[in-house]
Amino acid sequence: MKHAYMGIDVGSISTKGVIIDNDNNILSSSYIWTEGAPIDAVKKLVGILEEQFDKEQYKIVGTGTTGSARKLVGTVLGATMVKNEITAHAVGTTAFYPDVRTILEIGGQDSKIILVENGVAVDYAMNTLCAAGTGAFLSSQAKRLGIEIEDIGDIALKSKHPASIAARCTVFAESDLVHKIQMGYLKEDIIAGVCNAVASNYLNNVGKGKRIVSPVVFQGGVSKNRGVVAAFERALGCEVMVDPNGHLMGAIGAAILAKNSSVRRDFDFSIENIEFRIREASCGKCSNNCEIICVYRGDELIDSWGNRCERGSINPGA
Amino acid sequence: MNELKKPKKKVAFPRYANYNAPIRYLLENGLGVRCILPPRLTHRTLEIGAKYSPDFVCTPFKILLGNMIEALEEGADTLVMVYGICKLGYYGELQEQILRDLGYDFDFVNLSEYDTGKVKDLFKATKYVNPQVKFRKVLKTLLEAVKMTDYIDEVTSEYYQNCGFETKKGAYKKAYQTFISNMYSANSKDEIERAYKKVRQAFSQIPISKPSQPLRVGVVGEFYTAMDQFSNFDVELKLAEMGVEIHRWMNVSNMFLHYPGEKNLNVRVKEFTTYQMGPTSTANIRSAKEYAERGFDGVIHVKSANCTPEIDVMPVLQNISADYKMPILYLTYDAQTSDVGLMTRLEAFYDMIYMRKKVVK
Repeated sequence: MKHAYMGIDVGSISTKGVIIDNDNNILSSSYIWTEGAPIDAVKKLVGILEEQFDKEQYKIVGTGTTGSARKLVGTVLGATMVKNEITAHAVGTTAFYPDVRTILEIGGQDSKIILVENGVAVDYAMNTLCAAGTGAFLSSQAKRLGIEIEDIGDIALKSKHPASIAARCTVFAESDLVHKIQMGYLKEDIIAGVCNAVASNYLNNVGKGKRIVSPVVFQGGVSKNRGVVAAFERALGCEVMVDPNGHLMGAIGAAILAKNSSVRRDFDFSIENIEFRIREASCGKCSNNCEIICVYRGDELIDSWGNRCERGSINPGA
Repeated sequence: MNELKKPKKKVAFPRYANYNAPIRYLLENGLGVRCILPPRLTHRTLEIGAKYSPDFVCTPFKILLGNMIEALEEGADTLVMVYGICKLGYYGELQEQILRDLGYDFDFVNLSEYDTGKVKDLFKATKYVNPQVKFRKVLKTLLEAVKMTDYIDEVTSEYYQNCGFETKKGAYKKAYQTFISNMYSANSKDEIERAYKKVRQAFSQIPISKPSQPLRVGVVGEFYTAMDQFSNFDVELKLAEMGVEIHRWMNVSNMFLHYPGEKNLNVRVKEFTTYQMGPTSTANIRSAKEYAERGFDGVIHVKSANCTPEIDVMPVLQNISADYKMPILYLTYDAQTSDVGLMTRLEAFYDMIYMRKKVVK
């Protein structure tokens, strides 16, 4: 039986999963919305992956999780590798683009830039304190304009005179946008302006002070938006590559990291039928009042975290 | 006669890393007043501090104000506030006004008001706190408190350089915490020296397994947030525990006792900066350059949101990073309550410098 590896990337907005073989070929993949319920999303995702997966030929011997819910989902799945999304993206991308020098990534709530030399990340930056110019901004503006998020890119490309939208801050951008709507600008010009604003916000914040060298790969959910890709190409003056699997790159990276690690554990698809519960407890032993997250499989406590010191630790099995 | 019967003043200084130990030592043993140690910094400190602070002031202001309120709740009747050459110089005045508006009754010793450029004028503040004070005694205890500060910084520095490599988990932390609590209870020069010798001995007996070329990361940044473990979520320990040697030049004794002088430092970084940009900028730029020259694997720049001098330092650090090909991670702290985002960035930073070192070798 051939070995396979699963990678799951649970972000704020979407949940991504892949199963790869030893040569990084994708055996099954899926992309669904997280909808504020990471455990339910992962159960659903695992079900979809199972349908595409050939259990006769392959078995999953390593599981990697990444994304903002990596720890929770890693506990639920019994993952062999739990890794931050920056490393996962760098590892995933360099496996497919060994010559890449710059990785741009814009997700639902965060954005990052990774600089690569000789196939290894040498510098990175991630947005802090503010989620301006990320996917969440694009989708809320699409809703305001009554457009499906998937159509934004194509509409933006139709524009001949993109409106200029203040890019500094999401709140200001939004009021600027409302103003332009009321002034009677064409919808496509406004949409193109929003795409430009996302690109310039990214370059002025996350990309500030970083030398962006070609080849450039752009990924994350927003990379599916052709309007933003075009805005980046204009601003950088070079080709910006978007992989058809760019939105899955974090999950692929997690699977590759699971493959490269020495830890092995067979994955059991039956988790779909197991009930997982999360309870929040407030420690209360000092005025920090740490919120402790307890994860239960059925009635059994399997892990807990969130405490700042030993006094708040809860041991599974105790 | 009435003067003599007056009860001792209960003096408090807000929490600042581990430096409340020498401050307590000076207040109780030199000035002969009672020192009220404010509660440890917690979410509550930050919450009440942020509630009564201007929104766009830097985070240390909020923490200090919150901790002042907690000190008053603990029964302090006199608060002491320091000054500095950034906005800090104005903080004491503003904090006093906010606390008075809230209706608290207390004496406020704003050292900024005693700052005339002459050290002897600072001694006038001690007269205010305790009119019976003997200058000779204050001077003697001050020197001992300074020695204690020096020891604390030296031990802290060794702690973060080695604790990531101990073979018995928690051994360094235990010895370090014992030392710190000894510093808080010490009342004589002897006790300070004994505790220092004890921790030196304890450290030397902890078995460590360190590779010949360990990952080394330097920490630079703003004077409060870079040193205060609560404010920075103990970023140094988090990274050290992944197996990294942490170096931080910036501390109280290096800035005030062993400081090579602004001019002297400026000469060494003149290709990167011409002017002094704030209280710690030249020192931070110099530290970052030195770490780069010594072949460190990375530098972490720690600051609170809205810290103007450190924002000015960042473009210079970017130049150092580019010239020496050394990654620098920029961390900005505000009143956030979760360290999840910090862990993501730190883990990624560790993975990056680790994978990079493997390739370079």
